[in-house]
Amino acid sequence: MEKKIKRILFWFGIIVLVGGAVFGMIKLAGRASMSQTALLANAISASDWIQGNKDSRVFLVEYSDFQCPACKIFYSFLKDIEGKYGDRLQLVYRHFPLSQHANAMLAAQAAEAAGKQGKFWEMHDKIFEGQNTWASQGKSDAEKTFTSYAQSSGLNTDQFKKDLSSNEIKVKIENDYKGGIKSGVNATPTFFLNGKKLPPPTSYGDFENTIVQAINANP
Amino acid sequence: MEILRTQSSKLSTPIHKGSVWAFVVISFLGFLDATFLTAEHYLGPLLGCPIFGGCDKVLISPYSAVGGIPVAMFGAVYYLTVFILGVAYFDTGRARILRFAANLTPLGLIASLWFLYLQLFVIKALCFYCIISLLTSTLLFVLGLIIRSRFGADMT
Repeated sequence: MEKKIKRILFWFGIIVLVGGAVFGMIKLAGRASMSQTALLANAISASDWIQGNKDSRVFLVEYSDFQCPACKIFYSFLKDIEGKYGDRLQLVYRHFPLSQHANAMLAAQAAEAAGKQGKFWEMHDKIFEGQNTWASQGKSDAEKTFTSYAQSSGLNTDQFKKDLSSNEIKVKIENDYKGGIKSGVNATPTFFLNGKKLPPPTSYGDFENTIVQAINANP
Repeated sequence: MEILRTQSSKLSTPIHKGSVWAFVVISFLGFLDATFLTAEHYLGPLLGCPIFGGCDKVLISPYSAVGGIPVAMFGAVYYLTVFILGVAYFDTGRARILRFAANLTPLGLIASLWFLYLQLFVIKALCFYCIISLLTSTLLFVLGLIIRSRFGADMT
């Protein structure tokens, strides 16, 4: 009898160990990998790309990488947020191209080059929507893809190509990146709501709630 | 309870207790790693792409899932099976259970080598956690060889 109880306890212990391990690993994978107390180092300026109501006191700054799959997911979330609350907040896009994404920098340059002709957001949307196409392409093919986006947006493609490799654009992207580093960005996308870094949202609902709370607190 | 009792009469040479302990502990570590990768597969995209590393590239590649199930989950099932069999051996002392677990280890090694090939030559990015899995599956394979060598040829 005592033997039987010992065996039951033994296997119960193993079940608890395995269950605890699964729980712990899920928690670890879902934990906030970024510090949640960091503040936005660089205030919004005239050089930023801003959508929404520029008079709103609520501003959401995103540090993003066009080639990051998670950023693509948040791109569709932000479209929805903009549609619902665009009149009550400002949405700011800043570049944070990661070195492991071969075409991320070029994509950022393409968005900026389009921005020179007043079509930043249109190019921004096209780049995210076409991520699966250009992300796996070589540099020259990706450049052709971006140029085709420029053409379909009615941009002057000669000017676009010239701007694409301009030093001015590269410096602007690098400045965004450096500002991100100063603000403690270590993954993309990273969001700052009214200057405070948000923990990584676990769902769209969670993300939307946080924004709605900020909007309600700043009518 | 028959923990740590071995049926040494059915073995050509006794199994070193340390090898079995190592077998169980390493399979548990492999299980932790594969479970973490499985959780990352489901939670990862919302967490974003880290500033350093190729894990996101590996984990979002089409090779990271088969039929919608992340390969890491197959790994977790493999390591859990080996772990439970190892523990069952400690409980029952039945060498056959241990031999069965040891016979599974080549599967883990082959899968890990295949993933290493994919990472090096197809995806062209290395994922730290996948390398940990390669390490644990290799160690399990070596321990499996040691354990199998202790069994007599007639043992099935």
